[in-house]
Amino acid sequence: MLAVLKKEFKSYFLSPIGYVVIGIFLFVFSVFFYLTTIQYGTVDLGSLYFYTALYGLIIIAPILTMRMFAEERKTGTEQLILTSPVNMVGVVFGKFFAALGVIIVTLLISFMYFFIVKYFGNPNIATVLVHMLGFVLVSSAAISIGMFASSITENQIIAGIITIAFLVMTLFMQDLNSIFANISIMNFYSDFPSGVISLREVVGLVSFTAMFIAFTIIVMQRRKLVK
Amino acid sequence: MIQVENVTKRYGSFTAVNNISFEIDEGEIVGFLGPNGAGKSTTMNMITGFIEPTEGKIIVDGYDISKKSKKAKKQIGYMPEGVPLYSDLTVKEFVTYMAELKGCERNTKKEKVQKVIEQTGLIDVQNKLTKNLSRGYKQRVSMAGALVGDPKVIILDEPTVGLDPKQVTEIRSLIKELGKNHTVILSSHILSEVSQICNRVIIINKGKIVAIDTPENLENKVIEDNSIYVTVEDPEDKMKNIKEKLDNVKEVKLVAENEDKTKKYMISGEKGIDLRKNIFEVFAKEGITIFEMKKADATLEDAFMKLINETQVENKQTKEEEKETETKDETDSENKKEEK
Repeated sequence: MLAVLKKEFKSYFLSPIGYVVIGIFLFVFSVFFYLTTIQYGTVDLGSLYFYTALYGLIIIAPILTMRMFAEERKTGTEQLILTSPVNMVGVVFGKFFAALGVIIVTLLISFMYFFIVKYFGNPNIATVLVHMLGFVLVSSAAISIGMFASSITENQIIAGIITIAFLVMTLFMQDLNSIFANISIMNFYSDFPSGVISLREVVGLVSFTAMFIAFTIIVMQRRKLVK
Repeated sequence: MIQVENVTKRYGSFTAVNNISFEIDEGEIVGFLGPNGAGKSTTMNMITGFIEPTEGKIIVDGYDISKKSKKAKKQIGYMPEGVPLYSDLTVKEFVTYMAELKGCERNTKKEKVQKVIEQTGLIDVQNKLTKNLSRGYKQRVSMAGALVGDPKVIILDEPTVGLDPKQVTEIRSLIKELGKNHTVILSSHILSEVSQICNRVIIINKGKIVAIDTPENLENKVIEDNSIYVTVEDPEDKMKNIKEKLDNVKEVKLVAENEDKTKKYMISGEKGIDLRKNIFEVFAKEGITIFEMKKADATLEDAFMKLINETQVENKQTKEEEKETETKDETDSENKKEEK
């Protein structure tokens, strides 16, 4: 797993993708830093992380994940992985954590907002860490969907569109019927922004992520049968 | 080393590989030969565990590739068709990554990578991105990826496609070198290449094994009668009656008339008799000047074409037979109706 993780993480920064992702993320962060924290004149960063997750992930998750398996399938490097003595579980987790790594790098940079606010007031570091923990969990869920989408096609664009469609649709579908609220990942990110770690949300996001990681593993393990 | 037992691969109703079995011993260099779409790559992909056979089983070094895939895959170094590489990695990074995927120990990894890079002649380009390399170098990088970690079996899918002649000879000698302490399987549709490198040839056509043998035996198989080409100067046209004067000759045939008024004939005789001495002596007596005399060698090319055509003819025949029996049945039933 480590070999895949290391190579994938490095690949994000060998191509422009890593920088683009961090750039877009920080842009969205800064916009909402102005629209929330500064306009309301508070030291609370909860809405900053909430709105960035809400709008940022719709763009970021597909960019991070669309090439994961689709590109390997298209260029044929999939053969190299599938014929080497590695466990598919390790490969999938390696790729997953590499993408999550890019998000974590962004979050580390986002500490600057904390320090900016700290210059003017007295924000609570623990609360900000809770916001970030929630952010990591909600990003994991978004990445796992994107990863699954990437594993079922060899076309990156299609993988990206499936991811965007899922994230956008689940935002609006709950207005049609409240049942759809259960599959919207943002519904599991409402207590974190107020600085509360709720068991419901942690379990919800972790199991959501685990489910799509499991789907991806199954798809990849079945590849040799369906080809 | 490798046992393939009754393996079949179907895609829906299309059968890519049809019930093939063969065995490959340790230290052999085996060549898969066949026209495009014959099932060479499919067979190789099944041996490497990239695709699962529909039926049958494949055992690599004692491990079933479907059941103990991890242990079996550890014995295999594979260079896929079309040399897939990670374009944003350098040569060294790529080979290192492959070493890591194969589970090389940390302390020996660097050494092994360096050894393989030297072996494949990549030292000068080891810090270049793989996407900036020429086709020939890409091929070598892919090969380095297959070799790293010293697998017992090396499988190369069309290793010399798209290379210039110098690179081809280099790769061939590298494969020969590898054959000394590895089992090597390669596929190709270049026949001379296979006959040069391999100890054994497996000819596949339309998903079936047509022949498994050494290159020499395959060549011998197709030589039915021995023929000799002679180019002669024959102003008095004595060649017309030459057949009666030669012993053991079945046929004398004019092949070509050259611009310098020499003529090329093909003289075929009984199997296993060397005609050359007799031809020389008789022609000298008759006053026919021999400019050139050459034994017609059956090449692997001939063997290949012949074997493949045979299978096609066989298929046709069986189909025709089936048709005949069908029409017979129909007429029979019609006759019966009339009788009633």
